Amino acid sequence: MPIALGLEGSANKLGVGIIFHPPSTPPSPHDSAHSDDEVPKSQSKPSASSQVQILCNLRHTFVSPPGTGFLPKDTAAHHRRWVVRLVKQAIKQSKIQIEDIDCICFTQGPGMGAPLSAVAIAARMLSQLWDKPLVGVNHCVGHIEMGRTITGADNPVVLYVSGGNTQVIAYSAQRYRIFGEALDIAVGNCLDRFARVINISNDPAPGYNIEQLAKKGGDVLLDLPYAVKGMDVSFSGILARAEEMARRLHAGRKGEQDLWKEGDKVIGEEDLCFTLQETLYAMLVEITERAMAHVGARQVLIVGGVGCNERLQQMMGMMAADRGGSVFATDERFCIDNGIMIAHAGLLQHSMGFRTKLEESSCTQRFRTDEVLINWRD
Amino acid sequence: MSSLPIDEAFPHSLTIEIPFPSQRLATAALRSLAVDQELSALVKRDFDLVSATNGLSGDIAQPDSNAVLQVHYKATTPRMLRVAVNGFFESLSVVVQVMEELDVDVLHEKGIEGLEGVQGVEQGLTGTAVGVRS
Repeated sequence: MPIALGLEGSANKLGVGIIFHPPSTPPSPHDSAHSDDEVPKSQSKPSASSQVQILCNLRHTFVSPPGTGFLPKDTAAHHRRWVVRLVKQAIKQSKIQIEDIDCICFTQGPGMGAPLSAVAIAARMLSQLWDKPLVGVNHCVGHIEMGRTITGADNPVVLYVSGGNTQVIAYSAQRYRIFGEALDIAVGNCLDRFARVINISNDPAPGYNIEQLAKKGGDVLLDLPYAVKGMDVSFSGILARAEEMARRLHAGRKGEQDLWKEGDKVIGEEDLCFTLQETLYAMLVEITERAMAHVGARQVLIVGGVGCNERLQQMMGMMAADRGGSVFATDERFCIDNGIMIAHAGLLQHSMGFRTKLEESSCTQRFRTDEVLINWRD
Repeated sequence: MSSLPIDEAFPHSLTIEIPFPSQRLATAALRSLAVDQELSALVKRDFDLVSATNGLSGDIAQPDSNAVLQVHYKATTPRMLRVAVNGFFESLSVVVQVMEELDVDVLHEKGIEGLEGVQGVEQGLTGTAVGVRS
């Protein structure tokens, strides 16, 4: 039965998902004289917008204390502690038997080395004990395919934004091509590291807490650099400047400097968060629009953890509407790293005959989105 | 423990033997752990499957031969050896946990660990499987 178990652990979220691709019954235009061999390839390709059934989608997040980020060693230890119980619960909740499962899918990269390997070891064990093929999945492709299926967006320009990745992607000739990307750090990484210097909680995610603070701002837009470089973006300079601002804020409060005021307003964290979001998201909207103009697309799909942000969705929506297009986004079950997207992309790969040999199942931190042959699409 | 000749370039070494209940499990462990390369060039590692020697298995019955996973580590410094071996045991813990709770014969037994803070858990498992079984 086309059911896949997906294991995701490239960052601080450990996700285990089980997905079912009900076989569709496409009406055959051929008469009964033709044998099955002559059915053209496009007939047998699973369509992304056909029904999928999510049998279960479990996730446990490793949250580090305020003022800190998650380190590879601790994150890997977290994944090792949780992977077995999540898989057990996933099987229980889906009410399936091992015989029902077609393949074990896992994130092969990109991401953090130790956490990826911790999960890969579990995947390899399951593959052998249950006698199921392994399918190594590219994390970015997982996000894209899940976004397409959940939203029904057929061929959008994809903005993939998370703590580890920032890419503008468009599909062409069986590859997800990268049109633009962050040159240094990802936009989510910029947000997460800024959250550390203003010492806000990392629970449920630092970016979420920045968003809530930013909603309280809006009266003042401070001065941050704007670093779009053609189709690409750069965030490390903006982060450095934002960290400077945070230091100035604290110094003013401690009396080491004058209290920071713009006009009558006493500047607080909410103003810094508001300014940072407006600047970062405007940059992302610009490079997405550039890609849309380049390929003539009208749909934008936002995937990745930063895609949960309502302000980003709003700004992107304004741009898309100006161009007569629309924005697609998923909710936090799917835009934040999860196991279902790995199961989904993995099952698509598996259906086209793709297998990962055990000896070739080591993980890699650098796995480009366009390295994967997207042969389930035309 | 067999004594191996000391490699002068990697003078600090350790041989670990893990007995498993069956060759099937020992093989699965070896193949899962052998895939990832050692991160440091200052550490070398070899895996092997051996049979239990007298007194090794303790109270585990050893009907299978080649059910003992033997790993030989050698490193340039004691610190590198310790780091590598610690990493091995951490990975081994996942291997053993999967065997203990997720193998075909124990998968459907009750879990021994809690699920606090897990998103997506259905309380009481009231969700239906939505027509999975035809």
